[in-house]
Order: sequence, then structure tokens, then C-alpha cells
Amino acid sequence: MIKTHDLSKTYRSCGALRALSLKVAEGSAFALVGANGAGKTTLIKILVNLIQASSGSAYVLGVDSRQLSPQQFRRIGYVSENQELPGRLTVSGYLNYLRPFYPDWDIALEREITQRFKLPGDRKINELSHGMRVKMALACALPYHPRLLILDEPFSGLDPLVRDEFMEGLAAQAGDMTVLISSHDLGEVEGFATDIAFVDSGRLLFQEPLETLTDRVQQIKVTVERQSTRRDAVPETWIDIQETGNVLTFVDTQFSEFDLGERIRSRIDGVRDIEVQPMSLRAIFTSISRATRSVQE
Amino acid sequence: MNSFGIKIRPGLSIFDQVVSGAQKAILSKELEKGQTFPSVRSLAVDLKIHPNTAHKAVQYLIQEKWLEVQPGIGTVVAGCPRKPSETRRHVIEQDVAMLVAEARRVGLELEELVDSIRKSWSKTQKSVEETAR
Repeated sequence: MIKTHDLSKTYRSCGALRALSLKVAEGSAFALVGANGAGKTTLIKILVNLIQASSGSAYVLGVDSRQLSPQQFRRIGYVSENQELPGRLTVSGYLNYLRPFYPDWDIALEREITQRFKLPGDRKINELSHGMRVKMALACALPYHPRLLILDEPFSGLDPLVRDEFMEGLAAQAGDMTVLISSHDLGEVEGFATDIAFVDSGRLLFQEPLETLTDRVQQIKVTVERQSTRRDAVPETWIDIQETGNVLTFVDTQFSEFDLGERIRSRIDGVRDIEVQPMSLRAIFTSISRATRSVQE
Repeated sequence: MNSFGIKIRPGLSIFDQVVSGAQKAILSKELEKGQTFPSVRSLAVDLKIHPNTAHKAVQYLIQEKWLEVQPGIGTVVAGCPRKPSETRRHVIEQDVAMLVAEARRVGLELEELVDSIRKSWSKTQKSVEETAR
């Protein structure tokens, strides 16, 4: 559905994307995760041909993104946080304007979505609140049954209620469509995403199915008898190690239940208890970003 | 409508949570035999999860005979397929594991934990009896 190879983008002397290779499979809900300035928006803009890459290649729906034509754009939905919408048109006015561009426009679906989002048809777009405008942008992107929906930071500036509505609208339509969603709002995408890619400073740290990520990365809490006991060199896969009182917590990025106690006891003395806790996507993201940053420093 | 009280918790498999949530609701008779089960789409919308995950969970529950497809009606609750007592234990396992972990962390002994479970149990029992009266 999407495939990039060694994609790089340099703004003046600043590298926004560095040899990023990524693959989004058809039918997946792919979350692109990374801190502000990691290069998520740059990547998305290259994918929809708003900007050009400095080097490398990007294919969307099997076509080089620089060659995307209306034929492909009819099957791509794009919603970004700062979506440009014609402010002087009314909600229905703009939908009326868009309809003829898309042969597959589904009026029943359009109605369902505008009702779900309670979009006032006679209101001018520049009189809408930010939340309404984002919902409007989604309402414009769904009725033609896109095969690929690209959402760039759709949740920023939305209150929890609107986020819920937005996610409900999305979940109702997701079905067979491939969704690429960039966000640092990990709570929102956690239930929805099937795949995750972490981007940091323009590089892809990894991409994998959410299930394997949450199985593989677990927080381990080790309670020891007393403080300052022997501690041998810990493996590189243990990150974000923290100590408070007699509790040592760390994140095991290659977690396996097999031999866990043995592996910990061989490195730490006086272990009283070992507890394994599953981590939320948000916690995984924070730990990994922190670890990456401390390595860079 | 909220799909039988499932609250998606972060970090755990969504599929597992939907499956065990449905099983708990069936065991507790919140969902009764013969009752229609939410559609994949409404499940996805309610829980804000990907429809494919909702679909997988429903398919699994059908395969395990918790649900059955009735032509013309949709997916309905078939009841508990195995011995209820075993299944009851099974679906609560994860919650017990979390409780045990928490207890160990604060340094509780097994007996003490069992004791506080007993107390909590009889307290609940009492309030149930009072409500019944």
C-alpha cells in the first residue's frame, strides 16, 4: 500500500528524514509515532506529493508518489491538523463542491457521517470550531471510500469528547481501508492500530505489529532485600533503568518469560520479588525515546 | 450503548480483552442465552478499536461456541460452552494475577492476602443480602 526506500529529506542543512524505509501493508491501521519534529509530517507530505524528497523513493498505491494523479487521489483520503478548508463556503456547500470529483462518492455515507458528527450544513466553515473543522475534514475524506486514509496528527487541539467522536467515526468506517495515522497521542491510537512505527530524528527505529511490540516490551519491577547490592553489567535490551528505595524498575525490550528469574538473579543480588507489567503504548514510547536520547548524548 | 462494560486497558492484547470481556458478561448473565450480540461494527465503534480486531474476537467466540450465528437474526449468545466453574476460574485468572503481583510488591504474605479476600468477600456478601431483603 505504501512503501518507501531510503527516503531522505533535507531542509537547508537540517536532515528531516534520514534514509527511512517503511512498508505499510494493505488493510492495516498503521500508527506513525514520534516526538515533535521527528519527521512524521515530512514523511506524510512526501507520500501525498505535497513536497519532494531529497533522495530515495516512495510508492503509494503502487505509484511513485511524485507521479500521483487524480486517479490515485480519488482513492486517498488525507486529513491533517491544519487542513486548509475554504472558510467562506458552508459545510454543505463544500461537500456539494467535492462530490463531482469522486465517482465513488456515497451520499448515504456522507449523510451518516455528517449526522454522526453533527455538522451543521448551513454553517460557514470559518465559523466552525477547531474540533468541528477536523471532523469536517474527516467527513470530506470518507464518503468516497478511500482505499488509503492518511491522518496527520488528527487529535491535536481536540478535547476528549471530540477525540472520542472522531475515533468512533473512524472505527465505523475502517473496514477494508488502510489507515496511516501519525500521532503523539498514543492513548487514542492504542486500541485502533494494528501496526506501529517509531520515528526519531528522521530515522525509523522499528516497525512491527502492535501485538508483538506489547509482548516484547514489558516493564520489570525487581524488589530487592536491601539497597546497593551487586549489580553486574546489564544487557543492552534493558533500558530506562530506575531505582527508588529497594525497587529497581527497568524496561525489557526483548522480554521472554523463559528463564526470566534466572537472568535477573544472575545479575542482581538479593532479589525478593520480580513483577512483570504490561506497558501502554505511551509508556513504551516514553521509555524508548528516553533511551534513544541518552545514547545520542 | 456500551458493549457489556468492557473498558479497554492499555498494554494488554485488545483481542484478549474483548474475548474475556464477552465471556465474563455471558457468565454473569449480563448477556443472556439467545440475546443478540453487538455487531462487529458497533463493537468497534463503542470500544474504538479496529473493526478487524472486533471481527477476530467475534469469530473466535463463535468458534469456541460462546456465540452462534442465526441466519436472519445475526450473532446471538449461545451460552457457556464448557463447565461453567472451570471457565469462571479461567476468565478471572488475569485479574487474580494482577492482585497477587500487587500484594507481593507491598510485601503481603499469602495468608494475609487470602484473609483480606475473605473479608472483602463477606462484606460484599452482606451488602448483597441486605439488598435482597
